[in-house]
Amino acid sequence: MTCPLQLHRFSPATDTSTAIANGVNCPKPAQTAPSTRRLLAKVGLSVTEMVARHHAHAVGPNQCCSFVIQAIDAPVSAVWPVVRRFDNPQAYKHFVKSCHVVAAGGAGGDGGIHVGALREVRVVSGLPAVSSTERLEILDDERHVMSFSVVGGDHRLRNYRSVTTLHGDGSNGGTVVIESYVVDIPAGNTKEETCVFVDTIVRCNLQSLAQMAENMGS
Amino acid sequence: MAGICCGVVGEAAETSSPIEPTSRPSARRSLDLLPLKYIAADVSVPPLENSRKRQRLDRRASPARECDNAVHSSKSKVVEVVPNYSSKSPTLDSTSPTVVEEYPRYGVTSVCGRRRDMEDAVSVRPSFCQETLSHDKKLGFHFFAVFDGHGCSHVATMCKERLHEIVKEEVHQAKENLEWESTMKKCFARMDEEVLRWSQNNETPSCRCELQTPHCDAVGSTAVVAVVTPEKIIVANCGDSRAVLCRNNVAVPLSDDHKPDRPDELLRIQVAGGRVIYWDGPRVLGVLAMSRAIGDNYLKPYVISEPEVTVTERSEEDECLILGSDGLWDTVQNDIACKVVRMCLNAQKPPSPPSSPRREMAVDCSDKACSNASILLTKLALVRQSSDNVSVVVVDLRRT
Repeated sequence: MTCPLQLHRFSPATDTSTAIANGVNCPKPAQTAPSTRRLLAKVGLSVTEMVARHHAHAVGPNQCCSFVIQAIDAPVSAVWPVVRRFDNPQAYKHFVKSCHVVAAGGAGGDGGIHVGALREVRVVSGLPAVSSTERLEILDDERHVMSFSVVGGDHRLRNYRSVTTLHGDGSNGGTVVIESYVVDIPAGNTKEETCVFVDTIVRCNLQSLAQMAENMGS
Repeated sequence: MAGICCGVVGEAAETSSPIEPTSRPSARRSLDLLPLKYIAADVSVPPLENSRKRQRLDRRASPARECDNAVHSSKSKVVEVVPNYSSKSPTLDSTSPTVVEEYPRYGVTSVCGRRRDMEDAVSVRPSFCQETLSHDKKLGFHFFAVFDGHGCSHVATMCKERLHEIVKEEVHQAKENLEWESTMKKCFARMDEEVLRWSQNNETPSCRCELQTPHCDAVGSTAVVAVVTPEKIIVANCGDSRAVLCRNNVAVPLSDDHKPDRPDELLRIQVAGGRVIYWDGPRVLGVLAMSRAIGDNYLKPYVISEPEVTVTERSEEDECLILGSDGLWDTVQNDIACKVVRMCLNAQKPPSPPSSPRREMAVDCSDKACSNASILLTKLALVRQSSDNVSVVVVDLRRT
């Protein structure tokens, strides 16, 4: 089964370009990795096999997955410190009202945040969600990979897991952020609807990240 | 926002509240300027019985006690209870040809309710704008508005502080060529631009926002504005707050809620390339439960800030005007709200002899009546399990 990946490129209100790739119902992980590499190649990125594997989600029959790609006119060294802050997602995620780390993960004692950490996120008003309990799955400072899964909370996104990777865009000195996710399709909604909803949230987050990182540089 | 559904409260509401049957069309329906839209809402008691209960409660309770009851029954912090006890001299200065317009009588209540944060804002600006007509008559325009914020409070706060000034500027610029619909649309566009400009600057946000960055594209607010002049009531609405006129015992809606599944709004969104997804109710892109708002830049062009404007000629039959956020209207129907307010206004009828001291008393009673009405409406919404901030403005339109 081929993965029906579609790449749309358009220019929204912000001056940075955003590309959306919607992948629906890709049950074979092995097939996703090559497509991911081809997708990244189209954006002009060279990417290692290991990083591409992070975006190869195993997708169940009642799940959907998707990507959002955001170009940022700032170096990876400026963007990564913001993305990696598991304890402060509200720095760029404007739908997060507050965040409290309830478990630091790891062997403990050193005060840092490690894989296995848990945070309680409270969501701003007006959204169809109240809170979210999230677990840190990957935090790779060398390859700039961050991943979390949603393990509880008051919302309709069950078994949500996302991966965010940062990539230098060659000689331009900028960054390309890729965030991919997989999630259950809630009862009563279609795969397409679920992707539209989550893509809207993720796209807004990454656009805020771009504005923030670019303003820090100026 | 009503969009936040607490599962427990939702279930309780479903099990304990029957659906209100469709109300009978009014005999004076032909007078309505807008078609009546019945919105089914869960009610715990039939409206007639509730009206009787309300009446009994009103007879027993004093205004001060009403305030206390409001605090206790809602189990929430009362953010703003602002009765207007305006006093004015009924004596006209015989040396001046100026006809002095009386200040309006109104009451305001705005409470946090069951929400954690207060994101509503209310703006009342009596005589905010003076229109100079021929014969040197100066007639006051009065500004009333309710803003229901979402995402944070600062957009609603900005609207509260700035929108009346923008309206005043635009009305003055228009001079004799004042056309209310285009004027109000321009005002809302300017307000939306100010919100966008503010969020693009690196100014320190003044709100309680825990965000560390001022880039707040994901914050917005409803805006229902009423400008009351001696001849007209102008209502401009953007979002799902609402304005209702009580005229000769009939509830006349002066605004039409901008819900994403309203057929013409649904079509406009789809034509713009967006979509409405049912995600805890109909939402634009599954995210926002209203189709128009000030702010919310990330959802443009699907969520627009253009208001719908109605201009209503005032009439001797006008009793009152009610502005409210959806925390009120989600649980209190238009006609029930009108009955509550009419009951409060009639409970303190002015005495018929128009002597000078009694006229003062009539004015004071009317202000208290408006305040009582706004408090009662708020309490009613909270008793009926409203899960949102509740803001109510009641304006007495009766000619004294």
